Amino acid sequence: MNPLFAFQLRRVGRNRQYLLFTVLLPALFTIFFTKIFGGLASGPVEYQREAALYMVSMMAYGGLGAALGATIRISFDRASGWLRQLRVTPVPQSQVFAVDVAVGALLTLPSLVVVALVGRFVNDVQLGLGTWLALVGVLWAGSIAFVALGLLVGLALDERAAGGAIGFVGVVLAALGGLLAPVEVFPDSMRTLAHAMPSYWYAQLGRDVAAGGAPSATAVLALAAFTAGFAALAVVVARRRPLYAVAG
Amino acid sequence: MTPALAISGLTLRYGDIVAVSDLDLEIQPGQTVALLGPNGAGKSTIVNAVLGLLPAAAGTVEILGRRPPDAVRAGSVGAMLQHGGLPSEARVGEVVDLVRRSFPTAWPLDDLIVTAGIDGLLGRPVEALSGGQRQRVLLALALAGAPPLLLLDEPTSAMDVGGRRAFWTTMRRLADRGHTVVFATHHLEEADAVADRVVVITGGRVVADGSAAQVKAGTVARTISFTAPAGARLDGLPAVTSSSHQGSTLTLTTADASTTLRALLADRASLPDLEVRGASLEDAVLSLVAAGRNGALR
Repeated sequence: MNPLFAFQLRRVGRNRQYLLFTVLLPALFTIFFTKIFGGLASGPVEYQREAALYMVSMMAYGGLGAALGATIRISFDRASGWLRQLRVTPVPQSQVFAVDVAVGALLTLPSLVVVALVGRFVNDVQLGLGTWLALVGVLWAGSIAFVALGLLVGLALDERAAGGAIGFVGVVLAALGGLLAPVEVFPDSMRTLAHAMPSYWYAQLGRDVAAGGAPSATAVLALAAFTAGFAALAVVVARRRPLYAVAG
Repeated sequence: MTPALAISGLTLRYGDIVAVSDLDLEIQPGQTVALLGPNGAGKSTIVNAVLGLLPAAAGTVEILGRRPPDAVRAGSVGAMLQHGGLPSEARVGEVVDLVRRSFPTAWPLDDLIVTAGIDGLLGRPVEALSGGQRQRVLLALALAGAPPLLLLDEPTSAMDVGGRRAFWTTMRRLADRGHTVVFATHHLEEADAVADRVVVITGGRVVADGSAAQVKAGTVARTISFTAPAGARLDGLPAVTSSSHQGSTLTLTTADASTTLRALLADRASLPDLEVRGASLEDAVLSLVAAGRNGALR
């Protein structure tokens, strides 16, 4: 394994807050929401629908939170001078970026898998094996949008603002994108807003797959467009303020 | 022999401000060189440019014949930076290991621990280090790849007197092993104790270059002190480069003691408690810095 990759993974893994918010919290929310809304279901068919829907929403919430949390941290490494220190070793700058992308992508997986397991074994969500794998796979692939967003936020903001942004951006994206309460209960204006959120399209990938189909082209294209936009902006910010710049 | 460091015609700017202008400096392998100057003299700017952290407006830098980015990638240089730092949520040993593995050749770990003085720190979380311990870990990172050229920017700034002296011993040991060591400092004592070559920098220019002894001898500065009432008018005395008042004692640094004394005696009947002394390295540097500011020295 690449030494920098192993090093970064160990650092994030040591952060209990990170594990709490990206794995435990979405898992608990899955149970909580399903108990409330599943209990209102009129029959087993509707219960399955509700339970699967909340599970997918919480997988998306956990996945985007994990991706953001792992990548926004680049701001702390800049502020501490660590990236500057790393710049005077033979480690190439491109590797620093690549490793953060890889770490962000990999760390999305535990949230997705744990929430899926809770859905299956606590809430008794019934899906075929192929569907389970496709569901985790599609949400894993889609998390790249939030890896890009996290890098953008981490590069653009200073340490303090970035620290707040880790929790804030995730919750705002989840709330407005219909992950905490489904968009069906949103008023019209907020529903329009939800459709402008990458989190909505991210969860849509999962909803499409959980319903037994393929992800809709609209969702794939929308998320791809967000990813490209975030990545392009991150590159612009990185050009203006290199990783090793301490301030300004 | 390829110089360890060759700087030629280097000009560095921050926006419109010229921080370093047309600097030439060549350092041979195995030398221990102090870049000595007051804060804001341009020392860090030069160090950053040598490492490729700051683009040059003009001129070239070569480390063992390579341009800075290539030299850094090749592991030819290790550095302690003024704004370098350690990562959070990591143990010292992990950081040292990561950096050692990034270089083509690593400094043997046992010896690195002794040389950098980080014994017992490897298992520590980075957050639990004191200022001095931090500096020593940063030194260990600079040494980790056993690079031929070491650049240390104010390496002892967070150390107490004891730590500083231990650090000087380390730096001399590095030189004995054939490393080229270039360190920026504003501690004259440090330059005197460690360096076999002192390059005095002020206003982004080299105003003196030689051994500590040569730098002292190269300036004819003397200090003249005597008792004088506060606020005594001493404007326009010839050859004076700086003056200071401590209690009732007035001290003048002069490039030509006899000229200054003659002018002083022409004005007053006596100079109580008169003393004329040869310059210490500190006096020499102060006079060089003052002369550099006045543009008298090239």
